[in-house]
Amino acid sequence: MAGQTSKPLPLSPHISIYRWRLTMLASIMHRASGVLLILGVPLALWLLLTMAHGHIGYFYGLTWMRSTYGMMILWLVSTALCYHTCNGIRFLLLDIGYTDSREMMKLSAKIVLAITVVFAVLLAVWL
Amino acid sequence: MSELIKLEIYRFNPETDEKPYMQSFEVPLEKPGMKLLDALNYIKWNIDGTLSYRRSCGEGVCGSDGFNINGVNGLGCITPLEGLKQPIQIRPLPSMVVTRDLIVDMTHFFDQYRQIKPWLQSKSPEPENERLQSPEDRAKLDGSYECILCGCCTTSCPSWWWNGDRFLGPAALLQANRWIQDSRDEATGERLDELEDAFKLYRCHQIMNCMETCPKELNPTKAISDIKRALTKRKV
Repeated sequence: MAGQTSKPLPLSPHISIYRWRLTMLASIMHRASGVLLILGVPLALWLLLTMAHGHIGYFYGLTWMRSTYGMMILWLVSTALCYHTCNGIRFLLLDIGYTDSREMMKLSAKIVLAITVVFAVLLAVWL
Repeated sequence: MSELIKLEIYRFNPETDEKPYMQSFEVPLEKPGMKLLDALNYIKWNIDGTLSYRRSCGEGVCGSDGFNINGVNGLGCITPLEGLKQPIQIRPLPSMVVTRDLIVDMTHFFDQYRQIKPWLQSKSPEPENERLQSPEDRAKLDGSYECILCGCCTTSCPSWWWNGDRFLGPAALLQANRWIQDSRDEATGERLDELEDAFKLYRCHQIMNCMETCPKELNPTKAISDIKRALTKRKV
């Protein structure tokens, strides 16, 4: 048959056309915030090192923390920590069967995202 | 003159088309409560007879007409036209090999279903009459037996898009759980052994698209959690 000898059949589109659902966003943000937290570990270690190097090192670390970049990165990593912790608890509750219903799966995603937004705003004001 | 509904439909004919494209159609809203499948039928019977799609029962039982409708999977026959954002974009179920237009190759999907051995396995001698089950045990199958294997959940799952060759996907796992929960089945251990695998089961990252998209409002994510709990329980 003519159709069988020609090029392979196409794969239907997926990620490029699938509409974002809240639970999908919640799951992907969990992976993304996890990666950010790993990147934050060497940063935290570096800040600890500056403190251990006498008052000049301490002053250096402190200056960086109060700089625009420093504050932005600290804000980002802290927000990621807040999200990852809350959503981690959400996943644990799901694992033990507490939030198994369709409604609770959606509601818990909303709650976690709301907590993170409030935290991020408050932190931005405080920083 | 009745109101016109605008649709954009994914078209691909392997014999004539280089690659897939979207084609626009306009369909009159003939009666209130008209479903998406009615619009497709209208196009096929009145505008373009070459438009290809699967359909059968027309009432959400056979599971033939799963499509991606405005970005979310669903059954054409039970999705009302009213309330859908226009132009209504209709594509085949995601991440599937397209045979023609909205028809996809379901071979791999049904292979994965076969892999979970979807039948009652029993070693004890056959009883004289039927195998009995208490109403409580029967109730454990609620939320599983209703699945019509339309494929909406499996093809909505990003984990399955990336690892569909090894991850069984929500539909097959919901069915696996249906037999694990069944009090009459005596192969629970073997079924769990089969599933205890980093890919077959544990590729699920609780994205929950399956639960959001299921046209029968079932919850494959919960079924997957049930299997994980059954696996944990037999270890302690």
